[in-house]
Amino acid sequence: MKKKRRSGFIIACTAPAVILFVIFMIIPTIDVFRMSLYKWGGYTAEKTFVGFENFKKLSQNPKFYQAFQNSVLLIVIVTLVTFCLSLVFASILSREKIKGQNFFRIVFYIPNILSVVVISAIFSAIYDPNQGLLNSVLNLFRGNKEPILWLGSQKLVIYSVAIAMVWQAVGYYMVMYMASMSNVPESLYESASLEGAGRISQFFSITLPLVWTNIRTTLTFFIISTINMSFLMVKAMTNGGPDGASNVFLSYMYQEAYTNSSYGYGMAIGVTVFVFSFALAGILNAVTRREEIEF
Amino acid sequence: MKFKKVLCILTAAMMVFGATACGGGGNTDSGTGTPDAGTEDTGSAEDESAGQDADAGNEEADAGAETETDAGESAGLTGTLKVAAVETAYGADMWKDVCAAFESSHEGVTIELTVDKKLEDVITPEMKSGVYPDVILRAVGAESGLTETFVKDNNLVDLTDVLAMTVPGESVTVGDKILPGFVENSICNPYGDGKTYLMPMFYGPCGLFFDQGLFTAKGWTVPETWDEMWELGETARAEGIALFTYPTAGYFDAFFYALLHESMGNDKFQEALRYGEGIWDTPEAQTVFDIIEKLASYTESTTPANANDNDFQKNQQLILDDKALFMPNGNWVIGEMAEAPRAEGFEWGFTALPAVTAGGERASYSFFEQVWMPVGAENQDLGKEFIAFLYSDAAAEIFAKSGAVQPIQGMTDKLDGDNKLYYSIYDNGAVAVMDAFAATDAVEGVTTRATFFDPVNSLVTGDKTKEDWVNQIKTDSDALRAALKE
Repeated sequence: MKKKRRSGFIIACTAPAVILFVIFMIIPTIDVFRMSLYKWGGYTAEKTFVGFENFKKLSQNPKFYQAFQNSVLLIVIVTLVTFCLSLVFASILSREKIKGQNFFRIVFYIPNILSVVVISAIFSAIYDPNQGLLNSVLNLFRGNKEPILWLGSQKLVIYSVAIAMVWQAVGYYMVMYMASMSNVPESLYESASLEGAGRISQFFSITLPLVWTNIRTTLTFFIISTINMSFLMVKAMTNGGPDGASNVFLSYMYQEAYTNSSYGYGMAIGVTVFVFSFALAGILNAVTRREEIEF
Repeated sequence: MKFKKVLCILTAAMMVFGATACGGGGNTDSGTGTPDAGTEDTGSAEDESAGQDADAGNEEADAGAETETDAGESAGLTGTLKVAAVETAYGADMWKDVCAAFESSHEGVTIELTVDKKLEDVITPEMKSGVYPDVILRAVGAESGLTETFVKDNNLVDLTDVLAMTVPGESVTVGDKILPGFVENSICNPYGDGKTYLMPMFYGPCGLFFDQGLFTAKGWTVPETWDEMWELGETARAEGIALFTYPTAGYFDAFFYALLHESMGNDKFQEALRYGEGIWDTPEAQTVFDIIEKLASYTESTTPANANDNDFQKNQQLILDDKALFMPNGNWVIGEMAEAPRAEGFEWGFTALPAVTAGGERASYSFFEQVWMPVGAENQDLGKEFIAFLYSDAAAEIFAKSGAVQPIQGMTDKLDGDNKLYYSIYDNGAVAVMDAFAATDAVEGVTTRATFFDPVNSLVTGDKTKEDWVNQIKTDSDALRAALKE
């Protein structure tokens, strides 16, 4: 009797969270999958079931592949560069005694607090072909040649977006790594230095293995946040231009779903992104699995 | 212990309740989110116009006596009308005033007005749950594609009978009042069945803008043919000035339509708008592609870098700084750049597109906004009455005060100053072009903007050749042709 009452109590306590989760997460997700099988403009009640037609069209659409390529490129570049930079910064700021430590912590973290619109405005100003900071500095070395079109050249634009994204993300991951690095006992470093290990080998043999669990978690974050942030950045900075050269998954999905009256098709892109990011996160998780080291 | 359990259950219940309440709030939010622009203000506007009440009411009665239909219709028309209008450069006040004027001339009618710059964001959530505004003002060609979506979905109320309605308070019909050409085009008759689904509202001529002061100072004349344009391009290049720039590639729509019309004449132009088979291989179409390709080579080189929604004003600034000579635009640019610094002696100049051949047609695209009703509108009769009212002299005057000009007979005579210059372009021999690409069912992955206009950026940067562009147009036209609305 007491056990029954106990489980009833547990159900009562978890029910709100479960109900909310089902209503706001599970049902919409299933809805996305369902909608991807329809041809629908998005406003009317009239929907036509088209089966996998949307996916078939998607697989033949070069513009989708362009957006796909851009997204993958961003995931790789932004993850790699942000990961390396934030690890190095975190290690320096938590292990080394340097002047103005707190100042640097704040400076690195500030971009994370700024809204994407502000960041895109800052970078638009930096990338401005005529008065921009970047071209002005480069002109010191290359003379007054034709300005480089950071947001206008189709070959450069996606890298320009990547730089802004790295700048925005470094601080956030740095703080996450610093938090776990500060948990590593000082004694390990002391004994390592007594045995003659230098700073760099300490980093690779002690710091890195001991924050590995944290790193694995952040890798999943990298994938999700790059997919989401790239949409915001692209939307605010270039709107997919010039001529679709900076379109990413979600900006292309947005274009199709909301400006081309193809809501169902947009949802098909959504499903592809969902499956892709899930699979990628799964693969990364499997590849980075190590025996956990405790201290 | 027991107390704790009860407390836990109570907290849990409150959480669920709170969440449900939040969910509900989210829904109503869309309706009430902007009403500070809507309900609240109509209230105050109502007070302002209370004085006119009696007069307007009398006029209404007179008009009603004159025509049977009008009397029959307006007699039973009461209730709440939901009007949603996008807030553009003209501001939101004129809508509040017009709604107040309608309310005071139609007793028993209340208007729930939603005016917002991001109209779609405000009305979409309600529309998804099946609650539609009765009357919507939003033009085709907006990024959101709201109007296009309703056209593609056959989700519009047939407004042909509004043309036959008498303008409330007047004795003329709506159809007689609207300037010729504004109703008989592929935008207002999207299905080509002779029925009108969208009604033309504020219009403005689009063409090439330039610095008249610079032309006067240099002694240059505004080119009348494209050959003269290229000559001027060389002269300007020698002085370090580019011939051309554009705000974003999207501005090529008006430019492209006008140029097509100049080059191929109306019949073939209409065929092109319906993606006619082989139309892009005709010499006339090739002429258009050649001109745009050549124009790309004369375009200021940094233009594509700023040709996005964020930075397009930097491209417009090139004209103010005398770094480029011409840009395609509409008369709203003047307000948009009102605060911008400019070269000494700067003076806005405006011209139709140069002719393809000497003495040939010179065209200017007439951009106009549209007002329409979704099929889901509840008060359709009242909505039509409201639309008819929008063409009354009383409403036109309110709109004109904010600079919004409707295609109504005699309206241009009332204009003054700068506005007169722009709207008189058609009096000076330019042909007004008003059509747009024909409506199709949604073709996944193909938009006219991405197919026809965005690649201009690539032509300027050299990432695409003219042949790439034309081939893309041909392939996508095949897909669009197959999806044409019949």
